[in-house]
Amino acid sequence: MQKGLLQGIKRGDTVLEARGVTKRFPGVVANDQIDFEIKAGEIHAVLGENGAGKTTLMSILFGLYQPDEGAIYIGGQRVDFRSPLDAIDLGIGMVHQHRKLVSAHTAIENIILGHPRAGRILNLKRAEEEVNELCQKYGFKIDFRAKIWQLSEGEKQLVEILKALYRGAEILILDEPTSALAPVETERLLASIEAMARDDLAIVPFITHKLPIVLAISDRVTVLRRGKVTARLETEQATQKSLAKEMVGREVIFRIERTKVKKGKSILEVEDLSALSDKGFLALKGVSFSIREGEIFGIAGVSGNGQSELVEVLAGLRHAEGGKVILDGKDITFSSSLERWQMGVGYIPSDRTEVGSIGDFSLVENTTMNYYFDNRFSGRGIVDYRKLRKLTEEIVSEYGVVTPGTDTKAKTLSGGNLQKLILARVLSRRPRLLIAHLPTQGLDVGATEFVRNKLLEARQEEAGILLISEDLDEVLALSDWVAPIYEGELMGILPGEEAEREIVGAMMAGLRLKEDET
Amino acid sequence: MRIGSYGLNLEKRLTLAGWEAAVISILAIVFALVLFSIIFILAGLNPLFAYKETFSYAFANPYGLPLTINRFIFLLLCTYAFIIPYRAGLWNIGMAGQLYAGALGAFAVLFAFGVKGFNTLDLSPGILITLMMIAAALSGAVLGAIAGFLKGKFNLNEIVVTMMLNFITFWLVSFMIKEGGPFMNPGGRGESFELPPSVYAPLIMDVPITILLALGVAALLYLMFAKTKIGYQIRAYGQNPAAAEYAGISTFKIPLLVFIMGGALAGLAGYHYFAAVPGVYKIARNYGYFGDLSFYGIICGLISQGNPLAAIPVALLFGGLSIGGRFVQGKLNMSFGVDYALLGVLMITLVAFQFFYRYKIVWVRTEEERLGEEMLDVAVHR
Repeated sequence: MQKGLLQGIKRGDTVLEARGVTKRFPGVVANDQIDFEIKAGEIHAVLGENGAGKTTLMSILFGLYQPDEGAIYIGGQRVDFRSPLDAIDLGIGMVHQHRKLVSAHTAIENIILGHPRAGRILNLKRAEEEVNELCQKYGFKIDFRAKIWQLSEGEKQLVEILKALYRGAEILILDEPTSALAPVETERLLASIEAMARDDLAIVPFITHKLPIVLAISDRVTVLRRGKVTARLETEQATQKSLAKEMVGREVIFRIERTKVKKGKSILEVEDLSALSDKGFLALKGVSFSIREGEIFGIAGVSGNGQSELVEVLAGLRHAEGGKVILDGKDITFSSSLERWQMGVGYIPSDRTEVGSIGDFSLVENTTMNYYFDNRFSGRGIVDYRKLRKLTEEIVSEYGVVTPGTDTKAKTLSGGNLQKLILARVLSRRPRLLIAHLPTQGLDVGATEFVRNKLLEARQEEAGILLISEDLDEVLALSDWVAPIYEGELMGILPGEEAEREIVGAMMAGLRLKEDET
Repeated sequence: MRIGSYGLNLEKRLTLAGWEAAVISILAIVFALVLFSIIFILAGLNPLFAYKETFSYAFANPYGLPLTINRFIFLLLCTYAFIIPYRAGLWNIGMAGQLYAGALGAFAVLFAFGVKGFNTLDLSPGILITLMMIAAALSGAVLGAIAGFLKGKFNLNEIVVTMMLNFITFWLVSFMIKEGGPFMNPGGRGESFELPPSVYAPLIMDVPITILLALGVAALLYLMFAKTKIGYQIRAYGQNPAAAEYAGISTFKIPLLVFIMGGALAGLAGYHYFAAVPGVYKIARNYGYFGDLSFYGIICGLISQGNPLAAIPVALLFGGLSIGGRFVQGKLNMSFGVDYALLGVLMITLVAFQFFYRYKIVWVRTEEERLGEEMLDVAVHR
């Protein structure tokens, strides 16, 4: 392939173009006659629900897939990518949603990994100088000698970006760049992206669920729905509402109606619960609260403040270091997770792909995860897969999981569809206590709305729900009680209708309410 | 790759039907045999003749076929000893030790009833034979349980543990059967005492009854993985331990259980070879050879992808070729190790061909060619 197709390009010129791109997979047309272009110096957002075809389109632009019809043009010249290497050679860089870094290696080692100039003998010093220049140019700050596992998600993202830039990328594709980041890191990343765009790079972040970010930094937006382009807009002309409408295909209600439910008896009592983290320090320090029938108890906080430990102790996956857990009057502090499932605990884990599902299992087998122990579905040690298939089919149609069939492997589902399946599977057990850990993380607007409404439905049916979320708006919109968590302690418990955004935000950052203030 | 206006493309398979896997395996076997014929040609032999001799001895000869079947039973049990933990994502490479333990267990039953002293047997042979089998399975299971327990409780690497146990049991057998050991043959010779003919395992058409055991296990394992709760738990744990734990599956019990089951089957393989195969009926001096042979259970298990039914033809093929290869080596005056080489080539080819389980090669016509033809069409129609 000839290099240098992008030489002499000026700001505003079209650098990368897809014309009439179609890509079919068995059972779906992932991309249907898509026209798409990126200009030099712009930040171009691609917006779409899960399964709208964004990832497929980006994979085609990066050479991971070959289009069935249509073609890609760089600087006006047609190119055929046989593999991502061809795309990289022509100046396209991609930062994947799921980090592809070697965690035992340092940042700089990861950046030069696979670089043609790295060769057989590493010249780390020279590489470090060169990467440092890039950093200074765009205002990145990062410790090159730190091992990847020591870095925060935001820093890992920067390493990925630097890796692409160091390979000479002039068009940068960012897949869900902020989905794993804390708010502060998101701001820092957005500033870096803007700095890069000023330098005539074309930036393509594509973001599904954070409309405010699209509005804040992008110059143009292309909206995809079901494999087709439904809108191409200058961001200035767009509003949060109009974008959401284009994505989902109908009006989206940003406010959620929370009907009053008669408060019933207590389901869960947590008394002075503490637990150690994996690294052995006290991550949960004496938490007490209770949840009654028909209540959503929302724990708001930035990830890493003891939420995972709390959830795992409640689900029976981690030993309590001290304190008590009482479910329906029974002490379950030392019960196994299986016993808890059987007693009516339902748990939606934050990690959909690694914990909540088994990728190589069919949807039916994934449903079985929460039913194999249930006598209605497995008498005398035999699993009734016929009955489970029927149940799965019902779940799939009721929850609108998009899939060719129930024998499909779970790993082929998009994030939103997978979450729907997990949610449906857990809710179909009609749990007494539902633990929902980051239930809408990484989901698009439509799926988020769906999941939230399902949580409210479960509340209506008198389940007690523990909602753990980083999204303050989500906690405030759904919860009957709001408890901000900070460094393993609850900073106070506020009634949902009295919880003010600013106060809860400050509590998440460590402000403790005194008794007389609540 | 381009050839003229056509191209060869490598495409990822999304699904793999059972028959496709079978076709790929058969192609691999054919390819391996073609490849190995180079060895015969180098030795100045006609490969077709050599293969004819190999296969006819292994599968159609009145002397060779029983040997093949005995190897097959042994290999199949060892394969299952590997497959059960493998489906739980764990590697049992302790079949050798487990089968030694099984053999010791079976002989210990006779020892306990005073058989070695040529006393009259108090128990009926039927009960004794059953006890021997149970003891063999239990001994193998106990040895397996050590690895399973350490894995489940302390997350100790099961490969290392099972391998170390192989060494321990190897020397334990040596201690038991060599001069001065409790199981030593009255005539010395570095082998164990011989079974009295009354406790030889019953034969069905010259084949030991253990074949029913092996085939029965095949059916049971198939059903276990496809239908049962425990089979589901094992598979879930094997695919994703974190998800299994989330679903309430015990990360202690599953490793323990699969190693108990695997160890028991390897123990039965030990019973089979040393107490049921006609002409053996003792722990032979070269018992280590059968320990080495048991490692083909790993290969058969991997080739059959953990499928208990697919393991049957694979184990039969390997059993047959190890017998036929050895025979041909002697008959055609070839140098030592032809059978090993043949199995090795077959093994590597089968594993290499598993590439096609994940990818397929398709012919595609290039864009230009299609456009050209369409234009021609247009021109003709005008």
